[in-house]
Amino acid sequence: MSELSVRHLLGIKYLNRRDIELIFETADHFKEVLSRPIKKVPSLRDITIANIFFENSTRTKLSFELAEKRLSADVVNFSAAQSSVRKGETLIDTVNNILSMKVDMVVMRHPNPGAGIFLSKHVKASIINAGDGAHEHPTQALLDSYSIREKLGDVGGKKVVIVGDILHSRVALSNIFALQLLGAEVKVCGPKTLMPKHVESLGVTVEPNLRNALEWCDVANMLRIQNERMDMSYFPSTREYTRQFGINRKLLESLSKEIVIMHPGPINRGVEITSDVADSGQSIILNQVENGVAIRMAVIYLLASQIKQ
Amino acid sequence: MTLLIKGATLLTPGQADLHGKKRDILIEGGKLIRIGSRLNPSGKVKTISLPNLHVSPGWFDSSVSFGEPGYEERETIENGLRVAALSGFTGIVLNSNSKPVPDTSGDIVFLKDQGRNALTELFPLGSLSMGSKGEDLAELLDMQGAGAIGFSDYKAPIENPNLLKLALLYTQSFKGLVYSHPLDNQVAKGGQVHEGTVAVRLGLKGVAPLAEHLRIARDLDILEYTGGSLHIPTISSAESVSRIAEAKKKGLDVTCSVAISHLLFTEKNLEDFDTNFKTQPPLRSEADRKTLIKGLKTGIIDFACSDHSPLDIEEKRLEFDRAAFGSLGLESAFGALNKLLGAEESTAILCRGRKRYGLQEVQLNEGETANLTLFNPEPEFVLESESLESTSKNSMFQGATLKGKVYGVIRGAKSNL
Repeated sequence: MSELSVRHLLGIKYLNRRDIELIFETADHFKEVLSRPIKKVPSLRDITIANIFFENSTRTKLSFELAEKRLSADVVNFSAAQSSVRKGETLIDTVNNILSMKVDMVVMRHPNPGAGIFLSKHVKASIINAGDGAHEHPTQALLDSYSIREKLGDVGGKKVVIVGDILHSRVALSNIFALQLLGAEVKVCGPKTLMPKHVESLGVTVEPNLRNALEWCDVANMLRIQNERMDMSYFPSTREYTRQFGINRKLLESLSKEIVIMHPGPINRGVEITSDVADSGQSIILNQVENGVAIRMAVIYLLASQIKQ
Repeated sequence: MTLLIKGATLLTPGQADLHGKKRDILIEGGKLIRIGSRLNPSGKVKTISLPNLHVSPGWFDSSVSFGEPGYEERETIENGLRVAALSGFTGIVLNSNSKPVPDTSGDIVFLKDQGRNALTELFPLGSLSMGSKGEDLAELLDMQGAGAIGFSDYKAPIENPNLLKLALLYTQSFKGLVYSHPLDNQVAKGGQVHEGTVAVRLGLKGVAPLAEHLRIARDLDILEYTGGSLHIPTISSAESVSRIAEAKKKGLDVTCSVAISHLLFTEKNLEDFDTNFKTQPPLRSEADRKTLIKGLKTGIIDFACSDHSPLDIEEKRLEFDRAAFGSLGLESAFGALNKLLGAEESTAILCRGRKRYGLQEVQLNEGETANLTLFNPEPEFVLESESLESTSKNSMFQGATLKGKVYGVIRGAKSNL
């Protein structure tokens, strides 16, 4: 039986291509399950999962919880929003307290890059990174590539542009790693102030002009401005940002071909994307959300089967 | 007590007549009585004869932190100085980062007193500004009188250029040495690691080299205007080296140092989010590392220091962003430098520095007070956490293969041999 090369899902950069393909194949199966009248399998009846969120999240948390419940795992939720950190408790203590109640797997979102990696070295449970600062958000990247594969048949050879705040975005980083691993070509587009200084070292090219970027690509992944991670203004106003990097119907229709529009959510309608684009037939935003559950089921299932061994 | 060091190879930078020669050294009453061949003194003599024994003037470290007063859990002065002696240092400059910071002569007297009986001599820095707040000058003359050998707000950058201007002017009448930590906090704000390829991959906020040389450029402009003596501790980038080289060419009285860690490690060591590699300034690129080594060899960088920063485990076993900056450095200093540059060059570097602080250079002359480091430059070893004698264990050199064994030091009538 095939299994992942890793014990934790800490980031896409720790996976190989075969891991991603295995996750996709497993997600195909679960996607079929989700289309059944009874959308539940008994696979993980003996597994307990803790969702530990040190940062606010609605959709990711909901998606993980649904995935866990569809697999019949026992689920506990812990929304710390750094409260225990404020009280002086360390991350290791917080998680070990939860693990001492016999938890097998931890899904963690944390504001600090590398928090999941740090934790994996100090606790026994299997860790799934649900977003760690500006580092990685692996399940988002997996569901994004999975959605491209679903829409276009394959990720390999496709041209993908990621637009927006690349500097503060874990989604951008994980997407770059995943897309490259699967053979896609990646460009990034956004204000120079929101572009990491050495971003080209990731093997991507920077396209400062949105129209050029869109004309080039097969898929545009529009990111949200991460105001919560900014310590100051990286551009003068939302109005100016939208003028340069917002996508609207008129721009989309002026392109020489039809491209696929993605967004990891939550959408700031009228900022990075107008409603008529977000809700158009070219948008696969809701497919991404749907696929998120199947992808997370696949990841949890594959990691849990290693625990069982 | 009479000591006889038998058959030691002498490495004596600046003393060509002895350098590389094999000699016996006779020490009596803490003084070098004779340096010669086949010495055979009468009376009660303790003989030191060790494998591949090398002797050089006692080593000097210009950047060491302990924790006393205020952070004794990190390191005490007593144990810190014991570790310094085991590491081959007969003199160390103690950073002004205790709690409270040493900003009065009373504080300096306390520090000197704590180190009075130690084998390794302690030279404290005093705070440049009251409370190291960067607002008003501390009583610098008074602290110098009590034993402070320079003035520094440690790693708190001097935000107000006028404060540096005043400090450089004021200290001229008593030849005080002013430190300025090379960091522009506005540019570096929240930075955790070098702004390079690794920072991008890890999603960690980077500290641009610009943050360092922008501040150095400002400080050198001020120095050119005021005169005075400026020391820029622990530079980390290639651009900083060239800025300081230009200033020296102009004849400005400026010196700088580099942490030994930055000669061995780069941003690549951070790939695994290991907080022991989290330092201020950050480990930079391979190109920076090479330029730093070259700068040290050519003398643009005046001396290499351990930048010894003990931190207890609770300050390091944290998420990367929350962990404190700093690594131990004393116990790995010689092994690292020797591995990189060889015995001759590394001992010459470890002997540098005293002159800048107005201290007498150490030489091996008959009649002088003994101030010696004894070592074997050959054996390789892996630095293990368990072998560290420091109270804290936050060494980025753990697991690294280093070269050279320090046997011990002799200073005056004291020795740990």
